[in-house]
Amino acid sequence: MELKETLRSAIQALRINALRSSLTMLGIIIGITAVILISSVGQGTVAFISNELTSFGTNFFSINPGSNFMSAITGGDEPLTTADIEAIEDANIPNIENIAAFSYTSKVVSADEESKRTSVYGMTPQAQEMLKPDLIYGEFLSEDDSNNRVVVLGSDVVEDLFGKDTNPVGESIKIDDIRFVVIGVSKSGGSLFGSFFNTAVNIPLGTLQNQITGNDEIQEIDIGVRNIDLINETMDEVEMALRDHRHISDMEENDFVLQSFEGALDTFETITTLLTVFITGISAISLLVGGVGVMNIMLVSVTERTKEIGLLKAIGAKRKDILTQFLIESAVMTTIGGFAGILLGLGGTFLISVAFGIPFIISVPWILLAVGISTLVGVVFGIYPARKAADLLPIDALRYE
Amino acid sequence: MIKNNIPLISLEGVIKRYPIGINDFYQALNGIDLNINEGEFVAIMGPSGSGKSSLMHIIGALDRVTEGKQFFKGKNIASFSEDHLAEIRNKEIGFVFQFFNLLPRMTVFKNVERPMLYGKIPASERKKRVMNALNIVGIAEKAENLSNHISGGQIQRVAIARALIMEPSVILADEPTGNLDTKTAHEIMNILTNLNKEGHTIVIITHEDDIASFAKRRIRLVDGKIVSDTNNKR
Repeated sequence: MELKETLRSAIQALRINALRSSLTMLGIIIGITAVILISSVGQGTVAFISNELTSFGTNFFSINPGSNFMSAITGGDEPLTTADIEAIEDANIPNIENIAAFSYTSKVVSADEESKRTSVYGMTPQAQEMLKPDLIYGEFLSEDDSNNRVVVLGSDVVEDLFGKDTNPVGESIKIDDIRFVVIGVSKSGGSLFGSFFNTAVNIPLGTLQNQITGNDEIQEIDIGVRNIDLINETMDEVEMALRDHRHISDMEENDFVLQSFEGALDTFETITTLLTVFITGISAISLLVGGVGVMNIMLVSVTERTKEIGLLKAIGAKRKDILTQFLIESAVMTTIGGFAGILLGLGGTFLISVAFGIPFIISVPWILLAVGISTLVGVVFGIYPARKAADLLPIDALRYE
Repeated sequence: MIKNNIPLISLEGVIKRYPIGINDFYQALNGIDLNINEGEFVAIMGPSGSGKSSLMHIIGALDRVTEGKQFFKGKNIASFSEDHLAEIRNKEIGFVFQFFNLLPRMTVFKNVERPMLYGKIPASERKKRVMNALNIVGIAEKAENLSNHISGGQIQRVAIARALIMEPSVILADEPTGNLDTKTAHEIMNILTNLNKEGHTIVIITHEDDIASFAKRRIRLVDGKIVSDTNNKR
């Protein structure tokens, strides 16, 4: 029998039992939706993060206190200090372009009537250059300000303290009752990682250390490199210099963490891939359960249509004709389920991308894979019922009650 | 139609047994010798349990003999494979059943076309043949109706049209009028009679004398044996 006619008759058979067919497809639909959703959202997120990181500049690496990635976030035991910066400078590593440092704390900031608690960043002028905020009014912190009571306010802070669309340059604010002069207003360039510029106030690192926190701790050192290709060698050299300075013996682990943005991106991609593999595994279970459901329904269908099979054999259907008909029926069912899953998955991805502002990426390889897998499930789980139908003897099928 | 000496259907000493349980069996046909030639119109008669349906299934290559020989156009088909038998049923035999004749929820057209899909008849010719066959049975206007939306008499007409579609050597009708009223039954029998006049070989199974009287030859079965084989005088 021609393929076109077989397909047409398969779709017809599925339409006759539309509700039953769609319920049977559910397992396949859920499995495929999950795969498409996770892979697309994962890819979109990687693209988003990667975009954020590159807009930030990738030609530098950071040093945080702590012995691993987690303690780098929560804070290590032995802090980094200004002395560590000096040790790196003294190592005279040729590929180092500049060294930036910053530290932060949380303080109440007030102007006249208004006050609010916010993050106070102490940073070197180099840090400001690396994070690339947009300057709205006035100027950035400079080398000359190193111990002065000057402040660059984030745009949101200006709005809270002075009102909308005001230029506060020259006004003064208080941080913990210490008076600072506003020299500029900055805003993040739109990127996720720079957004703290909007809600924070930025003062010179020296001022923060000497007049507010009273210690010379540094939360992060960022080192810019001249040649990005040599970044790993430079990181090794800096590591050596710091181990030496911090008297870490050969047997001991680092009590600080070096991380390049390339490395961070790699870590993130690894997490996304692991998540995708994990969800794909779960989807495989859903597809397996769906496939068993398809097999079950096809077996019911073969039993229900035994007389029909007998009739078809009487008018000349060969074994292959019946086998193909039932196989195509189950494959069409799961493929339709696959397409429904793809549409749902893409719809979900679109909603998530709109809600979280990540790029909407349609992954063609994953879609092709999803179509292939759903068809394959139909064929694999349809073989047994189809063979059962094809092997019926015409006389037994015709006499079936 | 060219006639030769070889019978269209020939059975020699046919015995058919059906297993019942593990060690028991039921003997439906008990030594049948029968020749049917081209152009005949035969009615096989008998009470229920006489073996007429079993005989019909063997004549139609739907079932195999337990013992004896089963010839179709001179070939012993007892040893043919299932697919080979399917090909013979497709090209040489047209079936009309009492119940479950048509594929449900498919149009009349699709039902009549179906054997040609298995017979690899090109699409261009299929449409012409379907309409021609539906014209012969007088139901061309129902071509696009669904098979479950037509009357019992119309269903049998469609079944006859489908039986004709591959231009078979024989049309086998198993109680074709079994669930029709007398008037409709006679209409169906008139169609079969006309087809026979045009040269088609026709074999029907019936237990009604009234219906059997349309045939030229009557074979009566009792307990799996032929008890009489007579020609009708019409």
